[in-house]
Amino acid sequence: MARVVLKDLTKRYAGGNLAVDRLNLEVADGEFVCLVGPSGCGKTTALRMIAGLEDISSGQVSIGDKVVNMLPPRDRDIALVFQSYALYPHMSVYDNMAFGLKLRKTPKADIERSVREAARILDLERFLDRKPGQLSGGQRQRVALGRAIVREPAVFLMDEPLSNLDAKLRVQTRAEIARLHQRLQATMIYVTHDQVEAMTMADRIAVISNGVLQQVGTPKQLYEEPCNRFVAGFIGSPSMNFVELKVQREGVMRLVCEGTQVVLDDAMAAQLRHLGLEAATVGVRPEHLRVGEPEGPGLRVSATVDVVEFLGNDALIHAASEGRDVVAIVGADTRLAVGDTVILSAAPRHVYLFEPQSEMSLGAR
Amino acid sequence: MSVAEAAGLAIPVRRRRLSIHFRPSRLVLNVVLVLVAIFWLVPTISLTVISFRPEGLFGISGWWTVLTAPSQLTIQNYETLLSTGFATGGILDSLVTTAAITVPATILVTVLSSLAAYSLVFGRWRGRTAVFLVIVALLVVPVQVALIPVAQLYDAFGNLTGLKLFGSLPGVIIFHVAFGLPFGVFLMRNFYTGIPKDLLEAGRIDGAGEWTLFRRVVMPLGLPAAASLAIFQFIWVWNDLLVGLVFLGGNPHHTLTIFLFSQTRTLAANYWVISTGAMISIVVPLAIFFSFQRYFVRGVLAGAVK
Repeated sequence: MARVVLKDLTKRYAGGNLAVDRLNLEVADGEFVCLVGPSGCGKTTALRMIAGLEDISSGQVSIGDKVVNMLPPRDRDIALVFQSYALYPHMSVYDNMAFGLKLRKTPKADIERSVREAARILDLERFLDRKPGQLSGGQRQRVALGRAIVREPAVFLMDEPLSNLDAKLRVQTRAEIARLHQRLQATMIYVTHDQVEAMTMADRIAVISNGVLQQVGTPKQLYEEPCNRFVAGFIGSPSMNFVELKVQREGVMRLVCEGTQVVLDDAMAAQLRHLGLEAATVGVRPEHLRVGEPEGPGLRVSATVDVVEFLGNDALIHAASEGRDVVAIVGADTRLAVGDTVILSAAPRHVYLFEPQSEMSLGAR
Repeated sequence: MSVAEAAGLAIPVRRRRLSIHFRPSRLVLNVVLVLVAIFWLVPTISLTVISFRPEGLFGISGWWTVLTAPSQLTIQNYETLLSTGFATGGILDSLVTTAAITVPATILVTVLSSLAAYSLVFGRWRGRTAVFLVIVALLVVPVQVALIPVAQLYDAFGNLTGLKLFGSLPGVIIFHVAFGLPFGVFLMRNFYTGIPKDLLEAGRIDGAGEWTLFRRVVMPLGLPAAASLAIFQFIWVWNDLLVGLVFLGGNPHHTLTIFLFSQTRTLAANYWVISTGAMISIVVPLAIFFSFQRYFVRGVLAGAVK
């Protein structure tokens, strides 16, 4: 087991395209870190640089206490689970898992023991003689995991391992990977575009956009204290509502636009005054919106209901406020119907303010 | 196994269906197919029959008379032809010579093409596409264009090093390999491009070097293509007359095709030797074809990705 340190890791493609831009990240020994971001943001490229499958343009990758920039993949003591599984189609499940050990000249008895153990953990014992072509998607995925496990690498790298599974299997395998991590206590770096996967599994999440690291933190930190508008919008489902508001200083300081107003509490007002801003982007999560007038300061939106999605436990309201979409989660017992006018409100502690130009969080809530 | 089982299961089902729903179009189709098959087989059948008829009957009656008088069949031709044993210039000697040329030429082309294709597809060097295009362009160079220049080269090489290529088996083998490679590289490269790169990356992470990747991952997956290439190359070299004729000049050991060819020249109507010899020369390619065809498996890549 080992920690992984990325120092100013950069990937520049021929033609000057920056896929990863000075990525700095420390993954502690035994930690489960998710790299998450929209597709094409550079997260997979970063992972492939750690694995040694992609040349590093500049910067440094250390695994354990060793800089591994110049080491080929096989000398980095890592295992990679591919999005496509990449199983050897001409080998049995057993041989797929044993291949890496055979190449490392592990004694036969040890190989047998490791493979059987991995197969037991992953419930693959019945399939050891089958070829990958005879397995279902979920089983193939488990073989790919097994191939990584038997090697007992210092670091597990996973590249969207669940994206080819159907929804039910994905939830199942997600739990399986989480259990695996607890059991092995191994360092894991997991790439995904699905923030739900990241939130549910990771110790810490690194959000990447356009090759640039936006924020690193525990799922709770990212959810509660997003550092900028991108992270605020990316983490959480359904995603945060945003609206641009102007500062109004008459009477109680407030932010307004047609249909929406935020009565600022003292801390927020002081912050805005300090920065001398005339406008701000306001964000509020759907789950923090309530039906009804605000009690005291806070956000108030009046909107017309467009769609009501009943989800069982609660309901999702899509509403329009002066041409802007607002999404709110309300109780399943809601009487709201399409066409109704509704007042939605949120307490000041649930209102996020962002600087309109830089989109950085103003930090006061 | 599974293919045979599947076929064995499928045929009775289809037959039953045919007997229940009689479809004239099916019947017409089958008749046409049988006719085409007979049409294609006639030359082979006639050659087979001629080789089993007494020498004297050739000019008297047609081979089809065997249908009414099967008693005329005899293995006498084979006995006479094979009685000379491995004497230089005889049919068995020619068979050995042809095999000594064909087997190395086939193995070399298959192995070298696979290696070249591996580098062209999975290597990381500049100009791979350009090199491949040049190789494809070489496909259109006809053999006869190269005969004289290569003969001259062989001569010069012989004078320089003392190694005689002209008139020797290695000379013929090298020529066949050189002319088999463009097609071989073309075929293998196109097949290898279908192998997901993820598989090789997985192999690299598992600890495989390039050689191991080639031997343990890419080559097993490329077997169907390698088998078809080997069959093509084998049959092409086995049936070659021109290259052997030019480059074996002066060598007392002939290839089979030269042996058969010489029968038409020296003894104007030596048809019994030609038909019997041709039958003997067919046996080996047929055996090769049937022993390699089991590698034509569809879906070798099933289950690799997704």
